[in-house]
Amino acid sequence: MAKLAVILGVPIALLATVASLGVVIVDVREGGPSGSHIVVPVPLVFAQAALALAPAVAPEEKLRIPDEALEHMGLAREVLEALAAAPDGELVRVEERDELVVITKEGRSLRVHVTSDKENVSVNVPLHLALQALPDEHGHIRTAALAGALSSVRFTDLVDVQDGKDHVRVYVW
Amino acid sequence: MRKSILAGVGLLALSVLPAATAAAQTGTAWLHVRVEEAKEATKVAVNLPMTVVEAILKASPEMIEKHGKIHFGEEHGLKMADIRKAWKALAQAGDAELVTVESEEENVRVMRKGDLVQVFVDNKPKAGKDGKPAKGSEEVRVEVPVSLVDAFLSGEGEEGNFEAAIAELQKRRGDIVRVKDDDSNVRVWIDEQNTQPPAGK
Repeated sequence: MAKLAVILGVPIALLATVASLGVVIVDVREGGPSGSHIVVPVPLVFAQAALALAPAVAPEEKLRIPDEALEHMGLAREVLEALAAAPDGELVRVEERDELVVITKEGRSLRVHVTSDKENVSVNVPLHLALQALPDEHGHIRTAALAGALSSVRFTDLVDVQDGKDHVRVYVW
Repeated sequence: MRKSILAGVGLLALSVLPAATAAAQTGTAWLHVRVEEAKEATKVAVNLPMTVVEAILKASPEMIEKHGKIHFGEEHGLKMADIRKAWKALAQAGDAELVTVESEEENVRVMRKGDLVQVFVDNKPKAGKDGKPAKGSEEVRVEVPVSLVDAFLSGEGEEGNFEAAIAELQKRRGDIVRVKDDDSNVRVWIDEQNTQPPAGK
């Protein structure tokens, strides 16, 4: 009986630990009668470990942004920091005959909504994560900082795409 | 009983109303840009807190200069020192019509009125061929606060004082630019709302 408790208890405890550290869930529902439903849970800790290990396994030039882009990073950082500190509001609204694009700032996130006849797309960009994704002054992407910032986006819907009867959702639980 | 319930609901609604109005009032200056194109049935609205505009302008003067968007200096035979002198002389003149250009194609007026420098450009429509309606009319209205120019020219050498100009812009409330032509309307203004009023207001 004790053996069975250990056999069942250890994996459950491991799963609970991994889940408590956060899970990125990719949820794909295909429309139609034969449409499938695929759910891919990726423990956040795996993504964080991969990011932390990236500098050791990836060639340096792969983790460096081009010089042309580097000159705009100062501006990008200033703008993101100012946006994070700014009050909430609707930043951009583009209304066309068949499409509506709205970008709002809500709390510490930028929300992008695209609505058209065919699809609805919703993307949530946590400003804190975007700031950490910016490279350092030498153009190197700071993977460790990005890994650390991932834990701050728990319980966040990142992407929601409704295309006809298909539905894709990526969220962090 | 019914009356007192209605009165209660009415009072509750009245107490909520100011809060609902205040929800859009952020106490921060917001720069608004609205572009409406009738032909394409497109409306673009951009609302940016002035703190973000400030961050963009502060971070980008070098970039703006590098990409040749600002052409002050000797290359155009116009020194900042000359611009400063001319501006000082204009300031002493008080309210006046500074420039008037009238031609077959357009009328341009630049005047100083109180705290504002106003630029009015009216492009006249070209007569349509074969009975088609006249097209090509354009109306541009630009209002620049005098204090903004003062602040920009308070720099030294060939450089404008961006920081002072931005600080001055933070205080501005109201229209800055209005452009109206056959197909489109553009309006740029600053207020303390985080959204834009419905079109036409």
